[in-house]
Parts: sequence; structure tokens; C-alpha cells
Amino acid sequence: MEIIELGKNEPQACSEAQLAQIRDEEFRKIRMAFLNILEDTEDARQGAVKEKNKTLTIVDNLTDGVLVLDENNRIELTNPLVDIFLKQKQENLLGKNIFKIKSKKSELSSLVALLKSGKKNKIKNIFRKELLLGDKLYLEVTTVPLEENNNNRGTLIILHDVSRDKFIETIKTEFVSIAAHQLRTPLSAIKWTLKMMLDGDIGKITAEQKDLLEKTYQSNERMIALINDLLNVTRIEEGRFLYKPEPMQMEDIVDTVINNSEEILRMKKTKLKFNKPKELLPEVLVDKEKMSMVVQNLLENAIKYTNLEAEIDISLEKTDKDVLFKIKDSGVGIPKEQQERIFTKFFRGSNVIKMETDGSGLGLYTTKNIVESHSGKIWFDSEEGKGTTFYFTVPFI
Amino acid sequence: MPKKILLIEDDKFLRELMLRKLLSLNYDVFAAVDGEEGIEKIKKELPDLVLLDLILPGMNGFEVLEMAKKDPITNKIPIIILSNLGQGEDIEKGLKLGAADFLVKAHFTPQEIINKLKTIL
Repeated sequence: MEIIELGKNEPQACSEAQLAQIRDEEFRKIRMAFLNILEDTEDARQGAVKEKNKTLTIVDNLTDGVLVLDENNRIELTNPLVDIFLKQKQENLLGKNIFKIKSKKSELSSLVALLKSGKKNKIKNIFRKELLLGDKLYLEVTTVPLEENNNNRGTLIILHDVSRDKFIETIKTEFVSIAAHQLRTPLSAIKWTLKMMLDGDIGKITAEQKDLLEKTYQSNERMIALINDLLNVTRIEEGRFLYKPEPMQMEDIVDTVINNSEEILRMKKTKLKFNKPKELLPEVLVDKEKMSMVVQNLLENAIKYTNLEAEIDISLEKTDKDVLFKIKDSGVGIPKEQQERIFTKFFRGSNVIKMETDGSGLGLYTTKNIVESHSGKIWFDSEEGKGTTFYFTVPFI
Repeated sequence: MPKKILLIEDDKFLRELMLRKLLSLNYDVFAAVDGEEGIEKIKKELPDLVLLDLILPGMNGFEVLEMAKKDPITNKIPIIILSNLGQGEDIEKGLKLGAADFLVKAHFTPQEIINKLKTIL
């Protein structure tokens, strides 16, 4: 009973003391929690600072110049390379609107001119645009819009130094140009001598001698053609290749090329058909010499990689925006597994190497480059043993 | 009267070959081995036609061409460039300076060069 009594009374007496105890306990827990939160916050803060320093260190040590602009085009962040490229001090840049910085140095204004789109002070979206600063600093400039949940948060500008690549490219091109020119001189001497002997200018020669000399002459001609191909390739890579675009009819270009190829067509007994539309096609803006080279290359390939008595169909037609050129042959075709490589430099099909035809592997590479520099496209269908069709387009003026 | 032709060419062998071809066709030929000698002979001999190389020791072919075309006494003499340069801009420069034609050596045989020359003489 006593126990029950005690038990009966106890809850109240106990609850007072216990409540206080619980309260204390809770206060203690809350305090701990607060302390923990504070500690976590401090940790997080330190972590953030550490992280920020890490990011800044990375940005500072990048091999590219980096500028970060906020949504109002104010410069928020730059790294040391920006100072070097633009010949500016960081403190003159930070916090300022990039369009409003006054500077005596031309570097910054050149960059701003490239970035500005239209009259409004808006940053253009650019990808690897080349910018020449001074006389030898070549930069590739890229801008990346920074977006957060579809909101514009500013722009990242990357300045990538390509001066060294440029320099090597120039040296390489110059070297090939000079080498090609120097190679031509002795080849001219060989050509002239052989031709004079063949023409009987030096005295009579026997039929056997003539035959041998004729073959030597042809080998030499091949060497000269190879050098021309090499020169053309370096020229394309230099970007100086299309130097004289003029409005032309594609019909005229194709006609001229066909006329110039009559001899080889006759030798190979090739049947050539040229279908052009009855109405004149729209004019296209082309470099006549280079566009002729494209048609010539494709026609020569069609003739060369076809056995005797081939049939070649050439056609021109009008599409939405372009003139479409098509050349279909009944030749040896391009092996399927090699098709994706055919426009690469020095590529030659395994089946045509066996045919012992001469060729530098530069023709289609050059052709593709020329078509693309006219804003056109080039492609083909081919089946080994059945033939190949090449297509290319040139946009109307 | 045979036509008088001046050949300005620094490569000895090419010069010999071309001279031989021209002599065999009874032209009155003489040669110069560099730009300075070339311009001097243009002025002294007043040839009917000049075959001019471009890459020459000292004064280059473009300079010879320019000088010959500036001088009222020699500016009517047709000058054919015969060189192994032959890129678009070289050809354009040569023709702009007043060359009658631009022939790339490696692309023409001596007979073809003579044929070109006949059309101008």
C-alpha cells in the first residue's frame, strides 16, 4: 500500500523536479545545437573561403586569360594573364563596365571592338575568334554567357594565346612555298632539255630513244604536278587561296574543263554526258581558277579510277539556295571502310594504289577546302566495283 | 632583220637551253645574268622583246620591270615574265606592273614559250 501511496503522490513531487531537470536538459541540448550550428557555420565559412581561394588560385594560374563580367558588363574577376595581354593593371579593370573603361592602350579597345555587338553595349557570342594585338600577339577569344536558371548572370571571356601556333604555321607555309619554288627550277631544266631532245632540236633520235625519253618526260611532268598540289595545299592552309571571286555561270566553268580534258577522254575512250538545265542557272560568286580546279579534280578522278570505256555523267541543277554539281562514274569505287577518310590529306584508296595510278592524295583534300571556302558542301555515294557519285554545292549570289 | 630578244635569267643551264632554242630559230639573242645587267641591256640594246626571270641576285625582276616601264624610251618594249613563281598575287603584281604575259617555267616547254613570244612580236 505504502508503495502505492508513494506511487500516488510521487508523480506530482517528482514532476516538478523532473520538469526542471528536463528543461535544463533541453536548454543544454539547445545550447549544444546552437554551438554546433555556429561551429558548422564557421567550418562552412572556412570551407567556403578555402574553396574560393582554391578557385582563385586556379583562375590565376590558368594558361588562358579569363575575365568574368556581371550582368551589367562590370568586370568582376580577371587573372594576371589578362593584365599582360591587355597591358592593364587589374585595379583599373575590376568593378568597371568594360565598355566604359578609358585607356591609352589600344589592346583593350581592340578587344572591346571585337566583343561589342551592334550599337548596344551587349557582348557578342563568339567562339575562337582571332584577335591580333600589337604586331605579334594572336589571341583566340571566346565568350560564354553565364546563366543560372535561365537568368543572365554575366559573361565569361576567355583569351587563348595562339601566337606560337601562328608563328609555326607561317614558318611551315613559307618553307613549303620556297621549297616548291626551288624544286621547280631544276625540274624546268629537265623538262626543257627532254622536250628539246624529243623535238629533235639537239639532233635526230631513234624511235627507241624517243620512247624512253617520252616516259621520262611524263615522270617529270608528274613531279611538277605534285609540287603544284603541295603548293596549293599550303596556300589553302594559309587562307590566301581564294583571292579573286567573281560572278560566274557554273555552266561555263564545266564546259571549259570538259574542253580541256578532251585528249584524256579520247585516250581512255570515256563516254561523257553533260546535262545542264535549259534555262540559265543563277550566277554564283566563285574564284574561277579554283572552282575550275574543283571540277577538274573530280573529272580527273572519275576518268582515272575507271577502266577503259567508262561512262561519266555530269549534271548541274538548281536547288533552293544553291547550284548542285553532280558527277557519276562507273569506276572502281571507294572501299567502304575507307570512305570516311577520303577527304584527308595524302589519303589514297587501297584499291587505286593497286591500280598503279599516279596521284598525290591531295586532290580531294584541296577540292573540299575550295568548296567550303565558297560556303558550299561536298559529299559522295560510292560502292566498290560499281562506281562513285560526287556532289557539291555553291550558293547563289 | 631578225628580232632582237633579251633573256634575263640567272640559272646558267636554263639560260643555255633557252639561248640555244632561240638561236636555232634565228633570233638575235643576248642574255643578262642579273637585274642590274638586265636593265642596263634593255636601255642600251633596246630589244624587241624581253624574257624576264623574277628571282635574281641583287635587283629582282619586278624592279627591272618597273624601271623599264617608267622610262619613256623603254616602256613600249614588251616584257614577258618567265619565272617559277606563279601564285595569284605574283601574277597579278607582274601584270599590273605592265608585263605582257606571265609564264611559269615548269608549265611551258621552250617551243610553247616561243609560240607565246611570236604572238607578241
